[in-house]
Amino acid sequence: MKLTSGWTWIKIYTLLIYVWMFTPIVAVVLLSFNPQQFGSFPMEGFSFRWYAKLAGNATILGAFKNSLVLGSLTAVLTTAIGIPAAMAFVRYQFPGKETLNTLLLTPIMIPEVVLGVALLIFIRWLQQPKSFALLLIGHVVLTLPYVLLVVQARLVGIKKEYEEAAQTLGASPFQTFRSITFPLLAPAIFAGMLFSFTISFDDVTATLFWATAQNQTVPVKIFGMLRNSISPEINALGTVMIVLTVSIPLLAGYLSRRFARGNGA
Amino acid sequence: MMENKMERKLDEMIDRYREGKISRRAFMKYLGIAAAAAGIAGGPFGLARNAFGAKSITFHSWGGSTSEALRKYAFDPFTKETGIEVIDAAFTGMDAFLTQVKASYPPGGEFNLAHLSAVYDYARYKNLGFNSVLDESKIPNLKNVLPKMIDTLRAITDGKLSAVPYDYGQTGIAYNTKYISKENAENLGASLLWDKSLKGKLGSWGGDFRTNMWYAALHTGQSPNNITRLNDVWDALREQRELMKKYWASGSELMSLLANDEVYATVAWSGRVANLQAEGHPIGYLAPDNTYSWMEYMYVLKGTDMDVAQKLLNFMLEPEPAIAVAEGQKYPPSLDPRKVSLPKSIKKLPAFDPTGTLDGYLFADPEYWNSHQLEWTEKWDRIKAGA
Amino acid sequence: MKSDKWKPWALLAPSLTAVFLLLVIPVCFVVVYSFWLRAPSGGDIPAFQFGNYAKFFADFFYPSLVIRTLRVALETVVLCLVMGYIPAYFFYRTESKLKPFLMILIMLPFWISFIIRTLSWINILGDTGLINHVFIKAGVIDNPLPMLYNEGAVLMGLLQYLLPFMILNIYVSLEGIDKSLTEAAKSLGCTEWQAFKEVTLPLSLPGVSAGCLLVFVLTCGTYLPPMILGGPGNDMIANLIFKRIVGTLDWPFGSALSTILLALLGVIVYTYNRYLGINQIFKTLQ
Repeated sequence: MKLTSGWTWIKIYTLLIYVWMFTPIVAVVLLSFNPQQFGSFPMEGFSFRWYAKLAGNATILGAFKNSLVLGSLTAVLTTAIGIPAAMAFVRYQFPGKETLNTLLLTPIMIPEVVLGVALLIFIRWLQQPKSFALLLIGHVVLTLPYVLLVVQARLVGIKKEYEEAAQTLGASPFQTFRSITFPLLAPAIFAGMLFSFTISFDDVTATLFWATAQNQTVPVKIFGMLRNSISPEINALGTVMIVLTVSIPLLAGYLSRRFARGNGA
Repeated sequence: MMENKMERKLDEMIDRYREGKISRRAFMKYLGIAAAAAGIAGGPFGLARNAFGAKSITFHSWGGSTSEALRKYAFDPFTKETGIEVIDAAFTGMDAFLTQVKASYPPGGEFNLAHLSAVYDYARYKNLGFNSVLDESKIPNLKNVLPKMIDTLRAITDGKLSAVPYDYGQTGIAYNTKYISKENAENLGASLLWDKSLKGKLGSWGGDFRTNMWYAALHTGQSPNNITRLNDVWDALREQRELMKKYWASGSELMSLLANDEVYATVAWSGRVANLQAEGHPIGYLAPDNTYSWMEYMYVLKGTDMDVAQKLLNFMLEPEPAIAVAEGQKYPPSLDPRKVSLPKSIKKLPAFDPTGTLDGYLFADPEYWNSHQLEWTEKWDRIKAGA
Repeated sequence: MKSDKWKPWALLAPSLTAVFLLLVIPVCFVVVYSFWLRAPSGGDIPAFQFGNYAKFFADFFYPSLVIRTLRVALETVVLCLVMGYIPAYFFYRTESKLKPFLMILIMLPFWISFIIRTLSWINILGDTGLINHVFIKAGVIDNPLPMLYNEGAVLMGLLQYLLPFMILNIYVSLEGIDKSLTEAAKSLGCTEWQAFKEVTLPLSLPGVSAGCLLVFVLTCGTYLPPMILGGPGNDMIANLIFKRIVGTLDWPFGSALSTILLALLGVIVYTYNRYLGINQIFKTLQ
């Protein structure tokens, strides 16, 4: 009995946190349908004006594409180099381990303005122009700590004995990783990728300094729009993003269920 | 004396930089680090960019309606005629752009054209050595530009031009006519921003010490370009801080503060006020004597292909794009109304000068403001923070 | 052990290379710059002098900004922990099919640009915002409550940005706990609460600790929430660094400020790691 009531409170609490987190998001979504430019509440009318404008705005759509490409590549690359590093820290003993672990977490400690300019000074000293590759690796460095933190925390919980057992049974290190460690790590890898994608997707300050004229992202464009006024087109873009993120997993779930049923019949 | 010495040191540094350039590059190559670095910084992408560079020119602006208008009326026709693509990018502010330029390699060379604001920034680019020299005979449309704007820039770059003036505006005072009467506003002038009855309903631009000092100078009866009683200005700003609701940081914020009745009076960019008025908000615009005026220009950075740049500038100075940009950002174009016929939409913009002489428009003296920039910014930051 | 001493290094090589080239070396440049001078034009003059540091300690203005930053960061950490642990625990225990979906929802705010998200609080907390609108309509208050442009509003912006980090960090370490441990505890006569307190809570500490550290350092480096939601007295150290580096092109002083902030954060992280840090907890588990 007591258990149920405790659990109910947890559910209510979680719900409230969700409501709080989503209040500004709901405001953005609602205002994207507001015909006025400086709309606030209560709304006066409902229109698709900003969606129509968004559809015709090649600059924003181009920046959106840049953001997606950059975010996805960052997520893949960061996870690819982050997992081995996390394995090294959790599974091996070696001199300087703690220092190195802290070192790899430093990108989050450094304010991005500093990192942004510092990297530019360095690149200038090397006499190299900026490029997409620099931006990408910069984002990898920025998001690496998140992947490391998440993957390490999870890896600690995976018993080393599982891996050792598999190896005793004749599995190669790679096979062990693929069939034991990787599946157990999956939630952390997923979380890590999600983290690095979203952080890269949302990054303003460092990108502002590192991006060349050709690969500017949405947040950088928005920062520029602050000067005059941020067009509600941006609210519309945010709404589109949300609809996509919410609907894709739901659709995938629905399709996989259908597929499973189809197989069974 | 002190400054001369510093400038000499700076020159020495630049020389050393230039000398060191070749040897360091050779040294890096020797070590093989350059190869690794190229993989990070340049690599195939960098090479592709360079190859591509011959057929394109970059243009940095605030984006939004400005770049839409320019794309339609200047860039696309330009590309059609010359086959050279205009890569149009947004910056996030004057200071951030200068930071990027300062940090770029080759120095300034990554950037070509930029839509910059304020005469003191024109001087800053020159002092940092990023200026180019335009061949004015290649820009015939320059003849339509207001002479006073051209002369102002010429005075800084020894009679030459590194940019063409493009538009101008003012930082005046916006007030909400629901709460403040026109007579009251006009009687008070700059002192409206110190009206105690507006406590908690005033705003100002937090990002710029000049704007705040300018109005404090007007409030204390001084000439903004020659402040003699500096302490009065600081006292006035301290006093004003207690009345402030918000020091805004962007035009977007300025408009939302006014549109949502968060503030009733604030210093304001004339174009933003025009925008609010066009949307039907009850906002009045007040330009007291010696209102802070400024101009914007299309700057060409050192290292740019000048022939291409001049051709593009000439396209941009055609009345069509200039008027479209002006309508978009609501700042009057640099075109001389005595030579070019301007539509009504332009003539009713706040800060528009129908005479074309810009007499009585007070610009910030670049020498005066730049020489005190560091000291005054720090002082202003402290006052703003309540110290 | 065996001759696999090279293995961790091979695993670490890509990460270390990237961080060295793009972070460690550039940061060394920042330290070097902090001894330089700013030319009147905004250029930099190589030098070796401590003027930039002397300026920082000349009076209480700059240190007080640092102290305020640390205080706000601490407040953010505590609030994130209070707000975040229970939802993370909910994810761990729930058997709902919607769980993956609910987890993605946590990241959803990030899909709307940080600037837009921060600005949207104005629509909610402002004088004509949602809350005041509802309260005035309902007759609870006559005049709008001033909720915007103060430290509370800054905290709102910070929390909304950082809470997902806390929740996911805690969740990931909770997810690693073997659920049979709690069952075992209960079969030994523990109540649900005791089982949580004795088993789950201690085992979730690596995530809690990582989350707190993350939230703390991220708060110390942000400038957008104070800039957009704060009043004149709410600037944090990152705002000042941004202003010095970008605004006045005073890279030497900006670098000195950065170096001081970095050193301070370094000391904090080091101490933290030493006494209740992630590494310490890793060790006890192994």
